[in-house]
Amino acid sequence: MIQVNNLAFAFSTTQIFNNLNFKINRGEILSIVGPNGCGKSTLLRLLRGSLKLQSGEILWQSTPVQQIAAAEMARNVAVVPQSSTIYFPYKVRELVAMGRYPHRKNILTFQTKEDLQEIEKALVMTDILALADRQITQLSGGELQRVLLARALVQNSSVLFLDEATNHLDIDHRLELTELLVRLNREQGATIVQISHDLDLAAAISTRILLLDQYGDIVAIGSPEQTMTTANLEKIFRVEMKVGNNPVTGTPQVVPLINASTHNLSNLKVHVICGGGSGRTLMRRLHLAKTQVTAGPLNCGDTDEAVAQVLNIDITQEVPHSSFSPQTISATAELIAQADVLVVANQWWGNGNLPCLDLAEKFLHQGTPVFLLAQETKHDFTNGTAWNKIQQLQVLGAQNIPNGDHLLDELSTYQRQHLTNKI
Amino acid sequence: MNKVIANKLRTLGQISLLLSPLLAISISLSAGSLELSCNRLIEILLNGVGTEIDTIIVWQIRLPRALLAGLVGAALSLSGVTFQAVLRNPLADPYLLGVSGGAALGAVAAITCGFQSPVIIPLAAFIGALGALLVVYLVAQAHACSSHTLILSGVMVGSLAAALLLFLLWQAPADATRQAIFWLAGNLSLANPDWLGWGWLWFIIAFTLLWSQSLNLDLLTQGEETAADLGLEVGKTRLILFTLAGALTACAVALSGLIGFVGLVIPHICRLLWGPSHRLLLPFSALLGSSFLIIADAIARSLYAPAEIPVGVVTALLGAPFFLFLLRRKGGGI
Repeated sequence: MIQVNNLAFAFSTTQIFNNLNFKINRGEILSIVGPNGCGKSTLLRLLRGSLKLQSGEILWQSTPVQQIAAAEMARNVAVVPQSSTIYFPYKVRELVAMGRYPHRKNILTFQTKEDLQEIEKALVMTDILALADRQITQLSGGELQRVLLARALVQNSSVLFLDEATNHLDIDHRLELTELLVRLNREQGATIVQISHDLDLAAAISTRILLLDQYGDIVAIGSPEQTMTTANLEKIFRVEMKVGNNPVTGTPQVVPLINASTHNLSNLKVHVICGGGSGRTLMRRLHLAKTQVTAGPLNCGDTDEAVAQVLNIDITQEVPHSSFSPQTISATAELIAQADVLVVANQWWGNGNLPCLDLAEKFLHQGTPVFLLAQETKHDFTNGTAWNKIQQLQVLGAQNIPNGDHLLDELSTYQRQHLTNKI
Repeated sequence: MNKVIANKLRTLGQISLLLSPLLAISISLSAGSLELSCNRLIEILLNGVGTEIDTIIVWQIRLPRALLAGLVGAALSLSGVTFQAVLRNPLADPYLLGVSGGAALGAVAAITCGFQSPVIIPLAAFIGALGALLVVYLVAQAHACSSHTLILSGVMVGSLAAALLLFLLWQAPADATRQAIFWLAGNLSLANPDWLGWGWLWFIIAFTLLWSQSLNLDLLTQGEETAADLGLEVGKTRLILFTLAGALTACAVALSGLIGFVGLVIPHICRLLWGPSHRLLLPFSALLGSSFLIIADAIARSLYAPAEIPVGVVTALLGAPFFLFLLRRKGGGI
């Protein structure tokens, strides 16, 4: 039905899509899932033809999208927007009636009998008949969303695009409208493309799911069972998840593993060796746990350096894009000497930052506990030198901790065992 | 039950609005330095054109003037409604897009160049207004006439025109400056009675075309993206509406100078009273706008007769308190 070939798109400086290829089948429910800012809404607008194509092509039944006239397009597809800024106090019925616009015969007809029937039907289907004479400026977010859905329904299009169209709804109406969508799909053969952050609901009703990562690339497209895997979801949302099966429906069910444990590490002094953004989450979390953090060496202009500056973290600096000089390394050593614990974040290793690993080894010998955070071979760009050193550190007693949550747990354990006498 | 009464009141209000221009005209005909009783006025109107002094005053001075005020009021209100919807901005008025600046510059340039002719000055104003609109449009066209670009370029063209205007006034002899300021404050004494017919013809054509676009205006108030989603060709429609409203303003300005307030406030009052749907809003604004300006003009003429207060003063003094009253009663749903 809709074919996307080699689609690439950028907003002035930000590249959104590089090379997107997929198709939307007639009569399916396709859910687009991805993190904030990955271009989901942009994709819908491109598919709809609201944004000008830059490269690649989008075909609606083999007609290029840019060749379809405005009114015809509105008869093909109705859009339920995320939200709508309302300036003028139209009545609900008037707003819904606007959806009949593409079916108007000529500029003289106002509302035909058929129009009126469709409007009343949509008001009933979306449960807003009672609101029909209210002004839209007086509605709540959830009520407004139902009005916007009703407006899309009266367009009588075979395709429906929903951009998080149920995010303001209470559970009652969310289920009811989801059911309505499913019925439209099953009974009237409507093709539905929706952006959704409700992963479970998406898994339950979708024929297929399109997973996008933060760079706007397709991670997977296929049935919910194929696509909603722990590995895929962790990859795009970067949090720990557990994907199970819903005990009632059997569809995939996503449970984000929220670490609810709180940490108070106010007695601990931690030095973080990081760079290239590898330390920013960690520094933020340590800062929240009231830890006294130092960091470095960091190149000026590094994202980690910017975060450290904002959080008032003491750091050692190096000029941009250079290897760390002996002076910087020795200044860092002084910082580390004051810390109770040393953490090596999961940065990429090159010849420039190799001396950091030597530093870690030196302090490990002196008895400072060293924690390695999620070190992996694929981050080694020194032909194995760095990885050998990391393994050496582990032999000497450094622990490799898989993620930040566990690291904070380890740090609190350490604080309890070794530093309580300081209080 | 309450709903029935409310509906009846609403219908009553609409009928009285339909008749209001007639009432306004009769008030205007009897107002002025020469007092006319109600009976005498009816007599004059029934007997038709005659040679008696009061008959001549009514038929040849007061009636054309009332018709001109009605035309200008209706044109400015219509243009205000259109600009507010197209630009989705409640502060938009007919003069927002540099039309006033262009017209003033044209007229004042003609005055300071020494043209006294009642033909040249309005013509220069008309050309100035259309010129300013054209510049604004050409700038905004590069961005598909998005409302922000239109407003910003309109304001800039307006400032540019204002600067040039001040320069002209600074250079001009005192006589011309006085005349220019008189023109800038708005003036409903018609230069040439023949123009009235042409003005009304122009207005009726523009109104019919605008009215045929009333659903498109409704769609545009929902934002360009939503309007496009619903099947409207936004760029083309906006150009049509922009041209119609601009032409209406240019016509009004050329005939009467700059009369403020009508185009901003009448649309708001109508929207508060009858809702934002343009199928009703357009004709109602035109009716209310014309009645309002006819009455304001009658007051301006008769309060210090035979001297005249600038009509813009009266429009603001009458309109602003009423608008504030409505705002307080109905809240911010403008």
